[in-house]
Amino acid sequence: MTTALTLDRITKRFGGLAALQEVTVQIASGDITGLIGPNGAGKTTLFSIIAGKTRPTVGRVLCFGHDVTGWSAHAVCRLGVCTTHQVVRPFGDLTVLENVRVGASFGASGRLGGRTAEEEAGEILTFVGLAHRRDSLASALTLAQRKRLEIARALATRPAVLLLDEVLAGLTPAEIQQAVELVRQIRARGITIVMIEHVMRAVMDLSDRVLVLNYGRLIADGSPAVVANSPQVIEAYLGEKISES
Amino acid sequence: MRSSLRLELVAALAVGLLLAAVPMLIPGNITLLNLGILTFLYVAQGVAWNILGGFAGYVSFGYAAFFGLGAYTTALLWLAGWSPVLTYPIGGLVAAAFSLLVGAPTLRLVGPYFSIATIGVGEAMRILMLNLDKITGGASGLNLPTVVPSKTWFYFVALICAATSYAVAAWIRTSRFGLGLTALRLDLEAAESLGVRTTLFKNLAHIVSAALVGACGGVYATYLQYVHPDTVFSFTLSISLVLIALIGGLGTVWGPVLGAVVFFVVQDYLQTSYPTFHLLVYGLLLLVIILFEPGGMAGLAGRLVARRRGASAGPPAADPAPHAEHERAPMPRADAERPGTERTT
Repeated sequence: MTTALTLDRITKRFGGLAALQEVTVQIASGDITGLIGPNGAGKTTLFSIIAGKTRPTVGRVLCFGHDVTGWSAHAVCRLGVCTTHQVVRPFGDLTVLENVRVGASFGASGRLGGRTAEEEAGEILTFVGLAHRRDSLASALTLAQRKRLEIARALATRPAVLLLDEVLAGLTPAEIQQAVELVRQIRARGITIVMIEHVMRAVMDLSDRVLVLNYGRLIADGSPAVVANSPQVIEAYLGEKISES
Repeated sequence: MRSSLRLELVAALAVGLLLAAVPMLIPGNITLLNLGILTFLYVAQGVAWNILGGFAGYVSFGYAAFFGLGAYTTALLWLAGWSPVLTYPIGGLVAAAFSLLVGAPTLRLVGPYFSIATIGVGEAMRILMLNLDKITGGASGLNLPTVVPSKTWFYFVALICAATSYAVAAWIRTSRFGLGLTALRLDLEAAESLGVRTTLFKNLAHIVSAALVGACGGVYATYLQYVHPDTVFSFTLSISLVLIALIGGLGTVWGPVLGAVVFFVVQDYLQTSYPTFHLLVYGLLLLVIILFEPGGMAGLAGRLVARRRGASAGPPAADPAPHAEHERAPMPRADAERPGTERTT
């Protein structure tokens, strides 16, 4: 198994607050890795650092052997690591198809021209099940559809690694089911997935491996079953949430 | 969408040819030629300004700097014995180089911060040029050679400027580059994370539009045979370009064309009838546009066309709004399901 992502002693401080401390992880290519932890644990900050939106205070990020620490977000994306946003950010004034065309025209797919990019965008919309809305304005979509659009746009960049930041949050159980299915299909395309998620059942179902962050530290790392039974995790986080739902 | 684009290009070509025929159809009308030359130069600049201001959303109040640099480059080279026509592209290049120098730091700013920075750059250039009197003639300006081509010649050159700007803007609008500009205007961070080189694109848009405006400055200098820092670097000129794009329709290709025509006709009329009054009228015009039709004339026209089509062809086919409403209908049900499962994070 090759390594897709390597995080080497990532530390991020915002003033006196240490959002991440010495996080070292290797993500195997082809896996679905769940990243969980209570609010404020540093999950999204970790994604921002991988995606090149934030620089770590200390530490290195390696993608497929390239040291990408300090690269800008567009360069990381073109290397094949694409992030979806926790709060969806569709280009509201553009149609669904145009939104996806942005990803297809730029991104790791390189310089796709007008026609090719449009065809590619069309195929991806069919894949994520948004083909029927291709000519609607992105601002007219429902939340579930916007989340799909966010994923479609990211897929259009032809990523090797996809970072999904809470794509299930706010969805109905039926919608969650469909989204989980979609994530499986994406993995079947050979794309490595790291997902931040609060919907525990989905994470435990989907993930090959689960990482748990708490107060910026990695407190558990292993298969879903191992992590779910780790006393440290139960104490920090899971115990509370499981009894709640 | 592609067919409507083709239609637009055909229409533009037809208008261009018609305008090119004007000197032949109505020979010897100096007033008309003069009106044409100045209007075309405004069209060229308004369309060029819109590449950065409208497509990329970076509203600059400093374009007089590019116009002035183009005008002075042409003026100085002309005085040094160059043929004016050769100097226009060079004026454009000088303006483009300066735009890179200005854009590299200022385009990192967003929204009003960028706009304010460009005011500073524009005014600084005017004052600098006013004081470099060894080169620019300072407060007395520079008189240029009086041997100039005919007004008809200038009419065609100005028309070519306008057509070039239009062609460049139309190409950008449909290109991958234009898509990137739109994406970064709508959401800089999202565009960046989808692989758009936002900094590069912003600077490219700035350079292209500055070059076009610089070339116009050169044409203007040869046409008037006189350059003065207060006219070619004037803040009023910078504002005019913003107004033209706003009146016509920000971010559209042909909006600024209409905007420039309206702007120039209004200016011509007002400045002769009420010389002190015209700024007030622009202020009011701007208020009305921002309040009632932010899409400018292009937005208004689009709305009227949509309404007419809606009335003649029946609502579902032409007007996307009711269609979208219809598709959105199942949503309340989904919403009703949601509260039970909603997670408060």
